[in-house]
Amino acid sequence: MRRGDPALGAVAALALGLYALFIVVPLGMSAWKSLTDENPLLAQANFVGLANYRDMVHDDALTSSLTFTLLLAGAVTLVANAAGIGFALLLNRTSLSFRAMRTVAFLPQVLSGVIVGFVWRYILAQDGILNEVLVRTGIVDRPITWLGSPLLASFSVGLVAAWVLTGFTTVVHVAALQSIPVELHQAAIVDGAGPWQRFRRITLPMLAPGTTISVTISLITMLKLYDIIVALTSGGPANATQSTALYIVKLAFTDDRFGYASGVAMLLLVVSAVVALSVTGLLRRREVDL
Amino acid sequence: MRHNRLLAAWLTAGLALLAGCSAASPEGASGGATLTYLTFETPSLTASFWDTSIANASKKVSGVTIKKLVAPSTDRDAYAKQLQASGQFPDLLQSITPSTFAQAGLLKPYDQAWVDANFLLPLGNAYKGKVYIPPTNSQIIPMVFYNKTLFARAGITAPPKTWAEFLTVCDKLKKAGVTPIELGGGEPFAASMPLSGILSADVLGKNPQWLQDRYAGKVKFADANVQTAVAKYRTLVKNGYFETGALGVKYADSITNFTAGKAAMYMMGSWFLGSVPKDHADDFGSFMTPTDDGSLVVPFAVGGSMAISAKTAAPDKATEFAQAWSLDPGNYKALIEGDGAFPMLKGKTLADYNVTVTQVFKDSYAYVGEQNNKVSSFGWATNDDSMPSGLNDAYYAASQALFGSDDVAGQMAKLDAAWNAATK
Repeated sequence: MRRGDPALGAVAALALGLYALFIVVPLGMSAWKSLTDENPLLAQANFVGLANYRDMVHDDALTSSLTFTLLLAGAVTLVANAAGIGFALLLNRTSLSFRAMRTVAFLPQVLSGVIVGFVWRYILAQDGILNEVLVRTGIVDRPITWLGSPLLASFSVGLVAAWVLTGFTTVVHVAALQSIPVELHQAAIVDGAGPWQRFRRITLPMLAPGTTISVTISLITMLKLYDIIVALTSGGPANATQSTALYIVKLAFTDDRFGYASGVAMLLLVVSAVVALSVTGLLRRREVDL
Repeated sequence: MRHNRLLAAWLTAGLALLAGCSAASPEGASGGATLTYLTFETPSLTASFWDTSIANASKKVSGVTIKKLVAPSTDRDAYAKQLQASGQFPDLLQSITPSTFAQAGLLKPYDQAWVDANFLLPLGNAYKGKVYIPPTNSQIIPMVFYNKTLFARAGITAPPKTWAEFLTVCDKLKKAGVTPIELGGGEPFAASMPLSGILSADVLGKNPQWLQDRYAGKVKFADANVQTAVAKYRTLVKNGYFETGALGVKYADSITNFTAGKAAMYMMGSWFLGSVPKDHADDFGSFMTPTDDGSLVVPFAVGGSMAISAKTAAPDKATEFAQAWSLDPGNYKALIEGDGAFPMLKGKTLADYNVTVTQVFKDSYAYVGEQNNKVSSFGWATNDDSMPSGLNDAYYAASQALFGSDDVAGQMAKLDAAWNAATK
């Protein structure tokens, strides 16, 4: 394909067309709906200007869900990436068994979020496997209510999400590790550098671009988390684990406030964009410093 | 030219696919029609039950094919709304809350003469004077089920009639080392059952119009009488009459815990009668949530069949099928035995349904036929007393929150705010 080739133009036009059809148009429609009082059951919707956005200021449930979502995204991203780096260092070998273990580590990421949620629901249930082990080994006297108290349910959602995401962060960091030239480590060893110095001066700086990608994608994934929570806690107890994505669906299809739900979706989009761009910018600067 | 033909073929295929996704195909010259029917599954209402019931009703309607849709959870209202939003509103919708959909003009009312001719309480679940779901059966939500053996072990000889007696019973059970009340608090609707019982007894028992008054803005959740009733639930929690980890107990587990004798009482809808173990059914009894003065209040809900879409392309076939399903004796037998449904067909006794039921079913069913203070079941009625869209969820969340929080006033204020937002 040459520059100015009509086929190249056609491919680019198709790609742009598909992007516009599946991303730009729905986004535009959502933005428009956020300015209406659309109800999924009614054919007509009225233009209400910025009323939906003004209502958000006084919406305590939105504040709670957004706070939960941001805290969850921050904590899980931190834990999953720290664990991912750790596992990547352990699994960064070339033998068949290590390659197999890397596949196993990635498995949670491959599973459907709904299946993950249901499996963990059985593990964390009052009479689930975890409580069974804890009680039988005498670590606790009585079963812990992992999913029944607001604080522990939030922790449980974070634990499961981190478990899933760690598969992804591990693979990204393994790939980043494998791109580090072996000669760098060999030269450092000749120069008398110890394992910590090699990690601090070679591995960590060379991992930084991978970490930037991993952290950014982790944050975006967590900010729109829906499936795992639906299957694990349904947003309960008492809405303690209701993420903003869950809240949007509830507003649209339980409360019949499709227009307002679109407004909250736009807000989530802006928050996600701001968080992702800020963190990416910060990490890119850090890559240079390292 | 060749490209045009290819494009036309793709467009035709796409349109055919879209047509396949949409609801009813119209009644053709042959009189046949395909109808979509939204159902839901529970431990009692299994896939097999729906398949059999659909097959039986289909036999009575010529030229109809039913395409069963299953809601992904028991919240069929939310799923029906999703289907409506995507242009796939079903032709028939089982056990939805008609009010929201009827307001939007999405439902077709049943012929009142047919309803009057067949059912004991023709207007039992009417919304604004029209029947959108035939009142085929009724439920009491909740009842208090109890284990007679555990009561006897704690030295309790009779079920309580007043709230004071109820607290004494709970205390005796706790002292005897028995968990007084089972709660499947992991499921929001199940977590709300004790509160529904207390509110139905104390608030609706004294003012059966309370929900209508709430719509009219004459009363609030924050009113002193409501807060006093809710405080009773807090008393049960604070006194340790539920398990500490009750909010972590799944609904299905709460049933097995109670039937296995791990707790002495269980506040649940009368559909629990379908889960009473047949081999020791006589161990179980039932009573209504006690009131302060011992007066009997029965929280009652009528429904049981399907609504018909106003937009169906085959209204006659849809109505024929719905009526056939609503009168099918096979459905009644399955619903009575498996789901504890109280049948509401005119001119029939329990014996006419050829069912085998337990004594606790018969005793519970007696409340339906007796003259007593029946009120709309709080949060469950689907008639004019149904709550506005989204309120049930807010109410369930408040019930769960009140399990761990003493802030009754705060939770009631939240419910008022949610109600105001929903009816704005």
